[in-house]
This record gives sequence, structure tokens and C-alpha cells, in this order.
Amino acid sequence: MSKYRLIHRPALSDKQPFNASGIGLTALPEGHVIHVLAEQGADPSAMLKGLAEQGHSVRYAAPGQWYIVGDEPLADDALAALLTRLTPHAEGVDQSHGRVRILARGPMVERVLAKGSGTDLALSAFVVGRSTTTLIGHIAAHITRVEDHAFEIMVLRGFAESLWDDLAQMSAEFAA
Amino acid sequence: MASLVSCPHCGSRPKEEFTVKGAALKRPAPDAGQERWMDYVYLRDNPRGAYEEYWHHTSGCRRWLVVTRDTATHEIADSRDAALGVPETRA
Repeated sequence: MSKYRLIHRPALSDKQPFNASGIGLTALPEGHVIHVLAEQGADPSAMLKGLAEQGHSVRYAAPGQWYIVGDEPLADDALAALLTRLTPHAEGVDQSHGRVRILARGPMVERVLAKGSGTDLALSAFVVGRSTTTLIGHIAAHITRVEDHAFEIMVLRGFAESLWDDLAQMSAEFAA
Repeated sequence: MASLVSCPHCGSRPKEEFTVKGAALKRPAPDAGQERWMDYVYLRDNPRGAYEEYWHHTSGCRRWLVVTRDTATHEIADSRDAALGVPETRA
């Protein structure tokens, strides 16, 4: 037995969220993240559109790859039902324990992210609902514009604290 | 020198997001003979000018791309998904 008790806690539970006039950072609840990978030659877009219409948040990741995310944890039977719905067009992999989501919101959010990423995040080029994977500093992250001035940033759990600290530092000049 | 690489899936991105593999050459047939395979594995043209290379968008869409790059100016003339195939002209 280990001398230390293993405690299950959210990756960003000891980070203080802040909400200044220019920019705010919030750790989103660790609900569910399902990585969807299309079968070769299959086009699951109609099926994913159906899921989106039923209230699932579907994020494009790369050609043939998507994420289905949400704030609520999925029970075993709900997860199994969702994975079944993806077949035969695609396979789903539960990444709920492996990826953490951060919400960055505020009128300065684009200027904050521009310090770390080379992606064109102008509202005209990167509309609400659009997603991409990019580097923020040295950390690969998946960015989705969820509102005109709000981005959801998804990162591997092990990088979440580092990315939070980087984002907090990038936000400092607008968070006074 | 430009340091932006255009990805056909993600748009213009800094080169730090990519990994370069090297020249995009047509793979010889398995029985093409030792000389052809020595050329394919070890010998490169090293031209001054346009050059086709495999680039991997490691920190983005994670697709392998064929990027046509000028080795002198680093201008990117074209980029496409490598899964669409390498032209027959580059043997």
C-alpha cells in the first residue's frame, strides 16, 4: 500500500477562476469527451448533425475526427448508447478522463490567445462553432469558438495546469 | 523568410506546428533492385529552388502533407494531403 492516499480530483481544482472586464478564465466541469474517428471512406457528418440537433456538442478536430463534449459525466449505459449510435460510420473513444476544458471569455480573448497561437482567430475567419487544433506556446490544444468573445480550450489533462498558468500570464495585462 | 506553412485543412500556421520528414519521393517497387533502393533511401538531389517534402501537421490536424517549398526563399507554392498520392513525375 502506498503511504499516500490517491485522491480523485479535477485537474484544475486548485486554480482560481477569474472574471475581469477584459478576460475571464474558468475550468469547465470534467464531464465527458468522446473522440470520434470515422471509418475509412465513411461520412458520418449526417449522423453527427443528428447528434448535434439532439443537444450534443460536436466539435470538429481533423479530417475524419471529431469530439463530442459535455459538462455532465456520462453513465455507463448512456456512454454505451452513444458509442453504439456512432457505428457503423465511426468509432468513439472515451477520453473524459484524459482531456480538460477551459473556457476563456471576454472582449480581449482573441488578443490573449494571439500571444500563444498563430491561428487566425478573427471573428470573420473563425466563426462561432468553428474548431481547430493548434499550439498555444508549446502545448497542443483544441480551440472552439463558442460565443463571439468566448473560446473553449481543450487540452490533455497532464498539460492542463501548465496551460492554465500560461493563459493566466497571457491574460494578466487585461485582468487588472 | 516566411515561417508560415499553409495546411490544406487548417489554413496558414507557424512552422513550429509541423515536423519535416524530408523529400517526397515515389517509393520503388519491392523488387526494383538494390541500386534503385539505395537511391531512394540515401540519395537526395538537394536542389536550389522548388522541392517537394513530406510535412506532418503534428500539433494541428495530424495529417501528412506534401509541401512544395522553395529551398532558397522558403516560399510555399503548394500543399496538399499526402493521402491523395504523390505525382508519378517524381520517381
